[in-house]
This record gives sequence, C-alpha cells and structure tokens, in this order.
Amino acid sequence: MTRQALFAPFLAVLLMLAALAAQAQDGPLRLTITDPNVEPLPFAVPTFEAETPGAEQLAADITEVIAADLTGTGVFRRIPAEAFVSSIESFAQPVAYTDWRTINAQALITGAVAVNGNQVTVKFRLYDVFSGQELGSGQQLSGTTDGWRRMAHKVADQVYSRITGEGGYFDSRVVFVAETGPKADRRKRLAIMDYDGANVQYLTDSSSIVLAPRFSPNGDRVIYTSWDSGFPRIYALDVGTVTRQALPVIDGEMAFSPRFSRDGRSVIYSISNGGNTDIYRTDVPTGQHQRLTSAPSIETAPSLSPDGSQIVFESDRSGSQQIYVMPASGGEPRRISFGEGRYGSPVWSPRGDLIAFTKQNAGRFHIGVMRTDGSEERLLTSSFLDESPTWSPNGRVLMFTRETQGETGAPSIYSVDVSGRNLQRVQTPAGASDPSWGPLQP
Amino acid sequence: MTPGGYISGAGHAGLLLWLVMGWGLASEPLEFDVMDVSVVSSEEFEAMRSASTPEPETEQEAVAPAPEVEAAPEAPAEPEPAAPEPEPAPEPEPVPEPEPEPEPAPPPEPEPEPEPEPQPEPEAQPEPAVPQIVEDPTLEESPRPTPRPSERVSSEAAPAPPEDVTVAEEAQEQAAESEAPPEEVVEEPQEETAPEEAATEIVTEAEEPAASAPLASLRPQARPNRPAPPEPAPETEPTTTTASSEAAEEPEPPEVEEDAVDAAVEAALAGAAEATAPEAPSGPPLTGSEQEGFRVAVQACWNVDAGSEAARIAVTVGFSLDRNGRVEGSVRQISADDGPQAAVNAAFEAARRAVLRCQNANGRSGYDLPEEKYGQWRDVEMTFDARTPY
Repeated sequence: MTRQALFAPFLAVLLMLAALAAQAQDGPLRLTITDPNVEPLPFAVPTFEAETPGAEQLAADITEVIAADLTGTGVFRRIPAEAFVSSIESFAQPVAYTDWRTINAQALITGAVAVNGNQVTVKFRLYDVFSGQELGSGQQLSGTTDGWRRMAHKVADQVYSRITGEGGYFDSRVVFVAETGPKADRRKRLAIMDYDGANVQYLTDSSSIVLAPRFSPNGDRVIYTSWDSGFPRIYALDVGTVTRQALPVIDGEMAFSPRFSRDGRSVIYSISNGGNTDIYRTDVPTGQHQRLTSAPSIETAPSLSPDGSQIVFESDRSGSQQIYVMPASGGEPRRISFGEGRYGSPVWSPRGDLIAFTKQNAGRFHIGVMRTDGSEERLLTSSFLDESPTWSPNGRVLMFTRETQGETGAPSIYSVDVSGRNLQRVQTPAGASDPSWGPLQP
Repeated sequence: MTPGGYISGAGHAGLLLWLVMGWGLASEPLEFDVMDVSVVSSEEFEAMRSASTPEPETEQEAVAPAPEVEAAPEAPAEPEPAAPEPEPAPEPEPVPEPEPEPEPAPPPEPEPEPEPEPQPEPEAQPEPAVPQIVEDPTLEESPRPTPRPSERVSSEAAPAPPEDVTVAEEAQEQAAESEAPPEEVVEEPQEETAPEEAATEIVTEAEEPAASAPLASLRPQARPNRPAPPEPAPETEPTTTTASSEAAEEPEPPEVEEDAVDAAVEAALAGAAEATAPEAPSGPPLTGSEQEGFRVAVQACWNVDAGSEAARIAVTVGFSLDRNGRVEGSVRQISADDGPQAAVNAAFEAARRAVLRCQNANGRSGYDLPEEKYGQWRDVEMTFDARTPY
C-alpha cells in the first residue's frame, strides 16, 4: 500500500508530461528531408513554331539543338514528342499545364522562329509545369541565319540557367590540337570548335608541332606553344583575323605552358634552362618579366585563381610531382596535394572553389578535383591516359584528353560533369587533344 | 519451529540416504553393443579385403576411369565440389597458362601466379591426363578462367562505371515515365484537376501571402493593445493562425490606414473560420511512421542537380494541406542558406516541385495522412537539405 501510494504521484506526473508532449506540437508540422534523388529532370520542348513561311526547317533544327544541349548535360531528359498529350499550336496561346503534368514534364519550353531574309528571330518561354508558372520571362533573340546554332545555344543557356541557378556554357567554343596520322608521325594543328564539336575550323597548318593552346579570358586570342622556329616558343593568335605574334618572353631553352592572366594583359609560363624549370610572368604591353619561382626543381603548369591573387602549379621539389599554391606575385608555395601518386596540370575553376588536376597512380591516369586547400579530393575518371583538364565557363564541366593504348591508340576529347557523372566523348573529325574551353560568347 | 525443523531434517536425511544408496541408473548395454560391432567388423573386413584384393581393385579401377571420361565433358560443374582431387587438378593447370599470355597487362597478376604454384604438385600424377584436357572437352572447361576476366574487368574498368551510370539513369527514368502518364490520366476525370489548376487562384494567392506575411511579422507590436479589448473573437477561435486573431483586433483601433490589408485579412479570416481554426488543437501528434511516410512521399519527387551550387543550399518551405492531403495555396520559401540568389531560387524551386508533384504521384490524390489528425499536419514546414557530397 505504501509503495503504491508513493508511486502514484510519479505516475500521475509522467502521464501529465506525456499528455503535454502530445499537445506540444501546436505549430506547423516540421520535417527535414536529406536524401534527394539525382536524376535528369524531364522536360518537353515541342518543335518551335514557324512564324514565317519557310522557317519550318530552321525552327526544327533550333529545337533539336536546344534539346541536345540540355540533354547533353545529364541534368535534363527530353520527353519524346510521341508522349505529348497536347501540342503547342501557337507561341502566344496559354499553356495547358495539366497536359504536361500528365506526362511528368517538369519544364516546358515553347518558342517561335521567324525568318526575314537573312535575319532570324527566335522567341521562347520557359514554364515550371507543376507550379503552373513561367520561369523568368519570355525572351527574343535576333541574328543571322548563319548563326542559328549560336541562337539555339543561347536559348539553351537561358533555360539551363533559370532551372539550375547556374550560368550556362553552351554558347562557347573550345580550342584544341587536331591530330592526324600514325602515332609515329602525328601531325598536329590548332583547331577551334563549338563546345559540342560543331563548326570545326583550323587555325594553323600542320607544318610544325603545336602544343597546349589556351584561350584568353575574353576568347579573342589563343596562346600556345609552337616548334615553328625549331625550339618551343610562345605565340598569341588572334582568333578573328587568324594572325599570330610571338610573345616577348624571357630568353631560355624552352618556353611552354603559357596562360593568360584574367585581365589578358600578362602571361604566366614556364622557362626551362639547363634542366631547371621555373615560372615567370610577362606583362605583354611593356614586355617586363618577373620570375615567380626560383627553386632548383621543376615548376610548371601555372594557373591563376579567378581573382588573380594566387597561382596553382605543379612541382617536384618534394621528390615527387605535386601541386602547390603560391601568391600571384611569387612567394613561398604551399603544397596542397598529399595523396598517393603524382599530381600535375592543375587548373583553377572559374568558380574559384575547386582545382582540377591530372593524377597518375598505380599505372592509371585520373582526372580529379580538390578544394583549393587540397581537401575533398575526388577522382572523376580513370583510364590508360587522361590528362589536360579544362573547365567549362561555369565551372561545372571538365573536358580533357583521353588517349587509348597501343600502337593504334589515338587521342580524343571527353567531357565529364564535376560530380563525376555524364562522361561522354566530344565528337571531333579526327584525333583531338589539349582542349581549352573558352568563355561564353557575348 | 521444532516440528518444521524435524520435518525438514527428516526430508533432507532421506534425500541424502537416497543419493548415497544410489537406487539408480546403469548404461552398460550400450557399451556392449559398441564394442562388439567395432571389433568384429574391422577384423572381418580386413580379412575379407586381404583375401579378395585382385577382383575389387580391378573393379575400382574400371570404375575410376569411367568418371574421368565423364568428368571431362562435365568438368565445369564437377571440379567445384572438389571431390576427386587428382582429376580436377590437371584441368585448371592448362587453363591458367594460356590466360596470362593473351592478357598480361591487367593488375590482377598476383592472382594467377599463386594459383599455378600450388597446382604443379599434382601435375606429376596427371601428366598423361593433360592431352585429355587439351581435347575439346577441356576447351569447354575453360569457363574456370572466366572468373578471372571478370575480376580484371572490375578492377580495371573504373572508367566504364560512369558511362554505365549515365546509361542506367536514362533507362530508369524512361520506365518511370511510362508509369506516370497512365496514372494521372486516370485521375483527371475523377479530380477535375482543371478547376484546381485554374491557376489564376494560385497566382493571386502567391501574391497575397507576400502582402500578408509582413503583417504577421509586425503584429507583435500591436499585441500590447490586446488585453483592453479581448472580445473580438465572436466569429471563431483564432487558435493557431496568428494573422487571423490579429486581424480581428486591428479593425477596432482605426490607426492602421491599410484598407487593402484589412480586406486581405478578412478574406484570410473567412477562409480560416471555415475549417482551419477548430482543427489546430485536435488530434494526437503524427506517429513516427506517419511522419516518415509523409517525408518519404515528398522525397520521392525531390530531384536535385548534384553538381550544382543549389545542391549545397538547404531551403525550408512552408505550405498548407487540405483534408485530402492536397496542397492548398502556394508553396512559400521560409528560409534558406546563404548563397547566390540564383542558386537559392533553384533550390527552392526544386523543393516546390517535389511538394507539388508528389501529391499526385502513384495514383493518389493528395498525401496519405490520417484525417483524424488533420490539425497536426494542416500546416507543414519542410526543410530540404541536400548538403551531402555528391
């Protein structure tokens, strides 16, 4: 009896607490979700309306390029037209969201194309189907019929940017080394193409070896190394006029691995003398040189951070090839790569948050990324030979060179998402290597 | 006490006596049987065997070659049980030798090396059998090497996986796509989705909450006036929706000049008075499994772009549900991590799509939540946090 009498108050208190806890949720129901799906977002893009006679083919072509751009990112998936419940008869008509929800289209792109002589006008709208709202506002682009692919790329860039919240990269070009012939007698020349491999143009002939072309920040020039004079020299080539000039770099046995600074005024590069390689900077207008490293080891492959304050480069000063970061004006470098194997060809992301690199370990080559302090290293690819990574203008995708094994091995350009997904080969007419991704075109 | 002690003493004494005397057990018959059988059988068996050795040996030999011949064609299945030790040994020996020659490069080199080493010992015995293995059946037996190529491929083909992954993703989604259309097609006639979509309402509501939201945040300053006229709640009980209670108070002090605001508040009051107000306090809280079911249902439609900046931004959205579990009004952003505005917008839109899409997923009309607890899940705040390494 006494025990029961003692426990009774405690039980009562416990019951009251439980009741209070039950009534405690007087606010909204709060839940947290932490495990998202990572799958392409389904979108529908009905063939753009031809507003003028004869524009049907161009409207269809532009539609296909937009769809290919978006699908090629791996972030989007196109819903085939056969699945459409309704059609877009007119660009101006209201959208029947229900019909597009039925086929699970999360985004809908509508557009119209008008051709007037040599002029093309493209209009488009983007809809968030499930919220029943238009994403952004409609836009209209004008250009010439020759530039219809660029107009399609620009529409795709807008769609990509509005949905993902990131800048696009479709209306951009890539300069690379086109390679033909057998491995023992490989002929190389500079070429430029759209990011998707279209519109290939050759900038040089194959009379001399060319290496490591790099776009200037605004895409008007290409800087590269050529054996034209019998030993490596650095040239800058104007993409518009296809004229070149030798850069006034400091004297040395070999000058190579050049890159423009972010403002395009100066060039950072490597000079090799007597087995020692160091990094220099040359101000192009004034011709002034500055030595940035002075170690007896090999320092090369410099790449500037987006803000121009730091340089990442590779060095074997520790006995093995590793990645270091130093101030842009020179100074004590700080090693950031500590994993197994050898690290090289670092490239700073346009976003500034990551550094891409080539890693060689256990007989395999990898393209990887790490934070600028060397943390969170992730390898994105693995093959017999992967090298020369280059970032897309939005820092989201990497292109690189992949060479196959054996006597018949040939180089080609691949692209991979920074998440490691969506690895795919870029279509080029022949062998291709050393890509450099240019900026978004104005 | 004493009688009890006597009784217990007697009982214990009896027990001890019984144990000492051991009116008990014996297991001798088992020993007899075992001894007899073992001794007799072994001797007799040896005698029998020594007396008649030639005949059984020839028989066994004759039997042995027979399974060998059979083992050759059936080798792939038999060698694994490893019952006949000498026979399976010759088979793997020739197999590893040809393998390393065609594919010397792969990394699993250490694996093929140890295997041939232990096997050379049995080689001396079955050497004559090697030509048998070289025959056609042995070629068929080569399936043994197959596990090695599979290992090589798995270790080497690290580049392959990403490609496969992309392909797999596409295939899966197509399957999902094929499922989705028929489900919703069935729903349309039932739910009359067109009037719900009469998105004109959604659009206008999307603007209204923007106007009412700051009012709610300003209310705390007006509350001190509340104790004086605490009467104004004749219409309904403004239990949870603070906006409604505050709105009821405001019209009395005509200090505020916002007629439009009053109209909006009245509209909100009307809507709240109809169904929401009495529901808030009612019902027990959702159980863990019910919350988990709701969470999983929304998560199924939450899709992020893994490599984007938006995937690193956690966003909290708020929305209301009707009694059928369908989203009422608009999904609004409550809070988000710091980041580029475009990325924040993308993260919010992905969350909004998830909430709106999955209310109709899998053929349902609205989220599956217990109606008796409607007051507990009428208003929802859901945090979408994808900040995990991709």
